[in-house]
Amino acid sequence: MTAEQQAIYLNAVPLLVLGAAYLAAGLSLVPALVRSRGALRELELALALVFPCGGIAAIVFGALVLRDGEPVGGSGWPGFVAIVLALVPVVAFFVRFRERTLILTAPGIARAAEELGRLRSAETVEEAAHAVAERARELAHVEVAAVALIDEGTRTAQGLAMIDRGEEVDWFREVRLDLDREPSGIASAYHDAAAFAVYDAHASKRVSQRLVERSGVESVAYVPMLAAQQVVGVIVAGSVGRKHAFDSDDLARLQALAAEAGPVLERLRARPHGPREVAVARLAEQVRTDADLDAVLAGTMEEVATALDADRCFVRLGNPDSELTLKAQWFAAGLEPLDGSNIARLAASNLAMRRNTTVAISDVATSSALRDSPAGGTQGILELGSRAVLATPIVVFGELIGVLAVHRTTPGVWSDADVSFLEALAGELGLGIHTAQLIVENERRLEIQRGFYRIATVLGQPLSLAETLDALAQAAGEAFGGVFSAVVMPRAGALHVAGAHELPDPLRAALEEGLAEESDALRLASAERRILASRAVAGDERFSARWRSLGPACGFESLLVVPLESREDTAGLVLVFFGEERTLRDDDVELARHLAGAGRGALERSALFEAERTSRSLAQQLARTGSVLATELDPAAVLDEVVEQAPALLGTDACAIRVVDAGDLVVTAVAGVDAETALGVRNDAAGPLSGEVAQSRRPVAVADAASDPALFASDALLPAGFTAYLGVPLVGPEGALHGVMSVYGRHPRAWRPEEIEALVALAVNTSAALSNAELYQRVALEKERSAAILENIGDGIVAVDREGDVVLWNRAAEAATGVPASEALGRDAQQILGRSLSGSTLVPIRRGGGETWLSVTEATMRDPAGDVSGRIFAFRDISADRFVEEMKTEFVSTVSHELRGPLTSIYGFAETLLREDVAFGDEERKTFLGYITSESERLTRIVDALLSVARLDTGDLQVNLAATDVQPLVNDVVSTARENGGGGHRFVLDLPTEPLAAEADAEKLRQVLSHLVDNAVKYSPEGGRVTVAARRKNDTVEFHVADEGHGIPAAERERIFRKFYRADADRGGTGLGLFLAQGLVNAMGGRIWVESAEGEGSRFTFELPVARVLAGGSGPS
Amino acid sequence: MTRVLVIDDEAPIRLLCRVNLEAEGMQVSEAADGPSGLEKARAETPDVILLDVMMPGLDGWRVAEQLIDDPSTRGIPIVFLTARAEFRDRAKGLDIGGVDYITKPFNPLELAPLVRDLLDRIDRGERDQLRHEKLADLRALMEE
Repeated sequence: MTAEQQAIYLNAVPLLVLGAAYLAAGLSLVPALVRSRGALRELELALALVFPCGGIAAIVFGALVLRDGEPVGGSGWPGFVAIVLALVPVVAFFVRFRERTLILTAPGIARAAEELGRLRSAETVEEAAHAVAERARELAHVEVAAVALIDEGTRTAQGLAMIDRGEEVDWFREVRLDLDREPSGIASAYHDAAAFAVYDAHASKRVSQRLVERSGVESVAYVPMLAAQQVVGVIVAGSVGRKHAFDSDDLARLQALAAEAGPVLERLRARPHGPREVAVARLAEQVRTDADLDAVLAGTMEEVATALDADRCFVRLGNPDSELTLKAQWFAAGLEPLDGSNIARLAASNLAMRRNTTVAISDVATSSALRDSPAGGTQGILELGSRAVLATPIVVFGELIGVLAVHRTTPGVWSDADVSFLEALAGELGLGIHTAQLIVENERRLEIQRGFYRIATVLGQPLSLAETLDALAQAAGEAFGGVFSAVVMPRAGALHVAGAHELPDPLRAALEEGLAEESDALRLASAERRILASRAVAGDERFSARWRSLGPACGFESLLVVPLESREDTAGLVLVFFGEERTLRDDDVELARHLAGAGRGALERSALFEAERTSRSLAQQLARTGSVLATELDPAAVLDEVVEQAPALLGTDACAIRVVDAGDLVVTAVAGVDAETALGVRNDAAGPLSGEVAQSRRPVAVADAASDPALFASDALLPAGFTAYLGVPLVGPEGALHGVMSVYGRHPRAWRPEEIEALVALAVNTSAALSNAELYQRVALEKERSAAILENIGDGIVAVDREGDVVLWNRAAEAATGVPASEALGRDAQQILGRSLSGSTLVPIRRGGGETWLSVTEATMRDPAGDVSGRIFAFRDISADRFVEEMKTEFVSTVSHELRGPLTSIYGFAETLLREDVAFGDEERKTFLGYITSESERLTRIVDALLSVARLDTGDLQVNLAATDVQPLVNDVVSTARENGGGGHRFVLDLPTEPLAAEADAEKLRQVLSHLVDNAVKYSPEGGRVTVAARRKNDTVEFHVADEGHGIPAAERERIFRKFYRADADRGGTGLGLFLAQGLVNAMGGRIWVESAEGEGSRFTFELPVARVLAGGSGPS
Repeated sequence: MTRVLVIDDEAPIRLLCRVNLEAEGMQVSEAADGPSGLEKARAETPDVILLDVMMPGLDGWRVAEQLIDDPSTRGIPIVFLTARAEFRDRAKGLDIGGVDYITKPFNPLELAPLVRDLLDRIDRGERDQLRHEKLADLRALMEE
């Protein structure tokens, strides 16, 4: 590249580009420049001008290089590099093109921020006001700016700072403007709380002409400063030497400033300033935070004196009605301190106190106010070397509590500032003192609270009375700080030690011996519930000599006596002994009252607990006794049990139960050593003690019955060594008096209500148990009786429960059904009998092999509530009745048949014989007549048998007993049987060879035998052997008739002797034979039975007594 | 000649029947019990059987049943002789198959006319009618 080319491309062109860029940047700033032209400062303008100026320069250089064709400095490269470097700023400018106006405004913002910072960091109101004024002047582009502060309290505005062309204007600070009475721009701005501007200040009525004159302003703007919605000050800006129209921009800028400045000023104004204010503030802070008021006051006194240029400063406290006490004082060196001798003569403070206003005396010597005052005159003050006096009352919340005063040794007027300073101090002091008093009061409260707490803690633990009393003593000792303590309680009219804490033995012993009674003061304290304090017992005349001597011996000097609250006539006392002398303070009284209340609470709670514990143990004992009684079913045993249990219940020594018997009370059960002698003793039910219980039906409790001769004689147990009596009635369920239960103690005792209640409860239990036992016995008896009846009743009785299971099955039921009760119980009838008993009056059941007919009646069992609890069946075995009934029917038919047989023959042959159409031969006629005869005889026999049966039934059967020879009679019967055509039968006779005679009616015996033989023939139709035997057996004659026939089934064997029974209905016969045979045998004093095997034959046996006549020779040895 | 079989365990009754029936010209045979009666009935096939109900061993009812069960004797009319007065006994006889009954005691003179009349009606084919008449009579008697 040639030099020219270098000049063009490396220098000229880049320079032209650079210049164009700079010019463009400069042009882009023009609108912003125009907009803020008024507010721009030189620096900002300079920055803005860098771009166009630099641009023009670059273009000029570029044009020169182009014309010359020479690179700058011979070579193009260094120039090119320089140009590129020069491009950096403009490139940066274009990169941040949007923020380009910052070049113009940034310095202004920074300055504003700096000024704002100065404003905010201002330490005092003046400093801040200065900064505000400075800034206002700049913002408004005027020569003068000022700041005035509003004082709402005094309704004035006060000048704070004014700046005139950079110079502070001093006079402005002295300016005071009355906001309400003097027209001024500041007042207007305050009243309207709005900014405004005045173009011609001289002509305006709204501005203060004296200020306008003095400051020389032509046009003025006023802007109020606000803080917390209050106008706290006003910014004033004015032009000097020219008129200036404040536009809205000006005002807006000033308002922005005011908004910043207002809160700052308000904050700074609230701060104390000046040595006095600082002093007041510090004191205020100290008295409010420092608990040690005395130290604070002492330190403050000197400070106050210094601030007021005084030589003496002091505080006296008290209320107007009492003596003032010196609380703190300071005095300059060389002066005398205040003390008891001169303090009352501080007339000024006395006066201030009395009048409750500040008293300012410029010269005591000439003061008329003091001289004439009853407050003490001037002499006292003068003697202290004081001439000027300033005293102000200390008032807290309207209450006068003291006075703060300063003295000067030289006369002089107290300025308003002095007065207000002292008053402010007094106010702060008052608060401080009040706070301190509160703290002290609090601590005192806390101390009492701690005492309360100790009492509560100690009393909160125990429950039993003894422990509670000890705890009460301990609580009292600890709460009051005593060395030891005791509780004495009234018992039987005297005070006895009931609780103690650390009590020395000699003192305890003395107290137990009645020491408390030796002091009237103590008795009075108990009777009148008075707190009693003895600072030094040893020298206290109210106490006995023993009391006074015990102090040194046991190590106590003071005694505090606190009565316990009580409903009794005499209250218990808490005695607290102190090792040192001790005076009673207010706190102590309060604590004592609390102790009395807490003690009462604890004792009541403990009494409740004791009562509850006693009740519980009584209840447990009662429950035990009750459960024993509930299981006892013998009334006598109940009584024995009760008299055994009752003494344990109440801790008594004996118990007796008297039962009402014919108007007397008879001791029926008794327990207790030596008490048994009273058993069986009768007392009049109208007598005392138990008699009274019986009459009144109320408990009677006598603590010491033996001491009353009338009572002693009335009760058999009292002479046995008992005296305490408690009797309660035993009342039965229907309200009838059953008797009296009484317990006895060997020693006198007061019966507690719960003990009486417990015995009453036991009596109720006992009565119930007695009733139960009696009821049980009655029920048991009933049950036994019922069971006996049920067992022995002829009818079967079966009871079933709701489920149908058998619960009762009596003996008759066993007999009727053949089922034993053991099998029947718990099963139902269906299972037992194979069928139900219900629903039918006639029930056939199977029994053994046969059928038994039961006639059943049934009834529903109901429980007491009326619900069905089961059913009862009563039944009777009517098989026999039924059988007899059936047989009767059969009998009628049989008898008619039996009678018809012979009748047919008799009638038939008679008719036949009467036939006229047939001629019968003689032989035939004879046969016919023979049949008529024999059949008539048969008829007669049947009728005889019927008659015999009838006689047997009515008992009219005549038996003519005589010695009857057996053999001929038997032979006769058998031969008759043979004749009567027992064709297929073989008759065997088995008779003794020696003569045998029975004591019998021969005819009846024949009847029996012939019937048995007839039967034998009749029931062995296939023939076979019929054996007839007779032999002697001991004192009887035994007859047998045996056959080889069908035999008799076992089930029928007992029936065959029944009336009308016939084994085989088709065989004819009346069914009366065996019945008649048995009847006849029985009538002759014998008996008949049968042995039989089915299919093998039967053997009927009967025995009759041996005939006495013949028995003489051959009777048994 | 009418042949009558009398089955009765009582000899006087049998004799009574025989004498009076023979007097009317009838031929009478006798049996003293049920088994021998059955035997005779089968052997002789009489025209009429007078059958006693109450007999030891095999009674009249059973004899009648066997007679009716047996084809050889089924046709022989049976007249029951009964001492039983109950209607049910009389009805039973008719139920089994008897054509008539005679209640003891009876007039022996009436036996022959009864047998004759009976046979006449049976000859006329009125056997069943006869039974029904007797049953109707019984029913009338029972209702009284």
